[in-house]
Amino acid sequence: MSIASLLGSQPFSDLNFRVRPPVLIPRPETEEWVVKLSQLLSPSKLAVSRPLSLLDLGTGTGCIPILLCHIWAKGGVRAHGIDISSDAVQLANENAVSCGLSPDQFNAVRANFLSPEFLSSLSHHLAPPFDIVTSNPPYISWDEYLRLPASVVRHEDPKALFGGPSGLEFYRAIAWLCSREGFLSPRALVALEIGCNQAAAVQDIMQAAGFATEVWRDAWGKERTIIARRPFV
Amino acid sequence: MLRVVERRMVERSQVQSQLSEDLSSPDDIPRLRQLKDTEILKSAWEEWNANKKLVEELTPFLQDPDETMRKLAEEDNIRISESLARILSETFPSLLVPRSSAADLPGALLELKSGVGGIESSLFLATLLRMYERFASLNKWKVNSLSHNTNDGGGIKDVILEVKGEGAYDTLRWESGVHRVQRVPVTESGGRVHTSTVSAIVLPLLDEGDVRKEQLYSMDEVKLEVMRARGAGGQHVNKTESAIRLTHIPTGITVSMQDERSQHQNKRRAFQVLSARLMDQKITREIAERRAARNSLVKSADRSEKIRTYNYAQERVTDHRIGLSIMNLSSVLDGDALLDITNALKQDHAQRVMEEMLAGEGDATDL
Repeated sequence: MSIASLLGSQPFSDLNFRVRPPVLIPRPETEEWVVKLSQLLSPSKLAVSRPLSLLDLGTGTGCIPILLCHIWAKGGVRAHGIDISSDAVQLANENAVSCGLSPDQFNAVRANFLSPEFLSSLSHHLAPPFDIVTSNPPYISWDEYLRLPASVVRHEDPKALFGGPSGLEFYRAIAWLCSREGFLSPRALVALEIGCNQAAAVQDIMQAAGFATEVWRDAWGKERTIIARRPFV
Repeated sequence: MLRVVERRMVERSQVQSQLSEDLSSPDDIPRLRQLKDTEILKSAWEEWNANKKLVEELTPFLQDPDETMRKLAEEDNIRISESLARILSETFPSLLVPRSSAADLPGALLELKSGVGGIESSLFLATLLRMYERFASLNKWKVNSLSHNTNDGGGIKDVILEVKGEGAYDTLRWESGVHRVQRVPVTESGGRVHTSTVSAIVLPLLDEGDVRKEQLYSMDEVKLEVMRARGAGGQHVNKTESAIRLTHIPTGITVSMQDERSQHQNKRRAFQVLSARLMDQKITREIAERRAARNSLVKSADRSEKIRTYNYAQERVTDHRIGLSIMNLSSVLDGDALLDITNALKQDHAQRVMEEMLAGEGDATDL
């Protein structure tokens, strides 16, 4: 059992997130790229007059959108998180409150973005286009799942970890969603966490959907994040 | 010294006369600031002059034929002389000595390391740590432990405290140096007195904004390492590996931080300690340059110098720099009497700066 689940919390940048099995515990790799993303772009740098609209797919504890809301100026961003697990949705909303966010700034709802009805099911609160899409989707493959340490398998939701036979299923779904007409705003950015050794495959998927991509490494030297944007026309 | 004060007063009135009438010129801002800075000195100067005049007026009465009158005049004379002496020995020096920039810092980092004496040194470090924590709370400073390594055999190997509050650095900086303890260790069965040491290093703490302003380092000069491999990392692993090590390449300073569960927090603290170390080097360098320029003989504070002895058998604490002994060890360790020591050290420092300054200004008038 990890320290975080024993203590029921995990620090994530300046914030402290409640954690509760089976929801995925925020990882330091995620913390690192989210902080980097927050510095790379901010509502003031993007120079839009309206608040930015952010969607986090598979939000878990809500750590990614909540930290971004916390770092960026108040009111500069309206973030939404979706997750298939009702445990995660409830925990993410609790974390938003304990981190001092209003439901206006962040809210989590239950939804399945693999479902074909996902787009049509989006309520008017959560309407596209989005300026930023983030996700730390399940990316562990079948083979790898069997070799995971017990602390991960026993206490963390397979739904948050297992990314289909190749570990890439969710990236395909995200690429498909992001390439729908009107899902993203013209200058939108997509930031996706990836498992080690998935950079090439995920870049291929995103490039096939018409995105220009770049890869960020984590502090341990592993390829960890894919940043995708529409190429400038 | 009076000559110096008088010259300051002449300068002040010159500055005052330079002020434009409606205070609209941009040059007025530094002038006004200078006026404001010297305001207290001016009132002290006026008090001095008023007292001096009183003495002059009193002098004839000291020879008054009437005994009651003479007695009254004598009493007054004593009172006024006392107040003159006080102004001369305390008020003027404290006002003339330039306010140290250290006083404006938001706090200090206090690093304690066990030295000679093995476990006994570690045990004494724990005692000193408690003393500084109490001292900080007496001064209403906030203490935060940044790094804390316990010794397997008992006690503490080393510790870094962040002490935040007004004057924390200005007061604590005199604590840098080697602290020596003489006592019978609890681990000693033969009842012999041992001598052990703990070294203290006090560094100036900067605001994050000031760090940027000071440009102590550039990010290209800092090598950042995470200290343990995480295998595949990410979702594959949920053990936290948050230890961080920074290396400042030009100076070779390294800082490791592992006490926090979050890598981000460790990184922030490591950078805080790095900034403090670099700032300390900068201050030391500046002091050395100034000294060289003035050709002064004031002894520099050496970190490896033994500054204080805590003798348990005699219930005595001696500060070797000023030869001050306090015969109440427990009160020092409780933080109360430590204040007497730091005050004495501060005063000693002010006096030395004063002497240095008078020597400097004296040269100027001779020319």
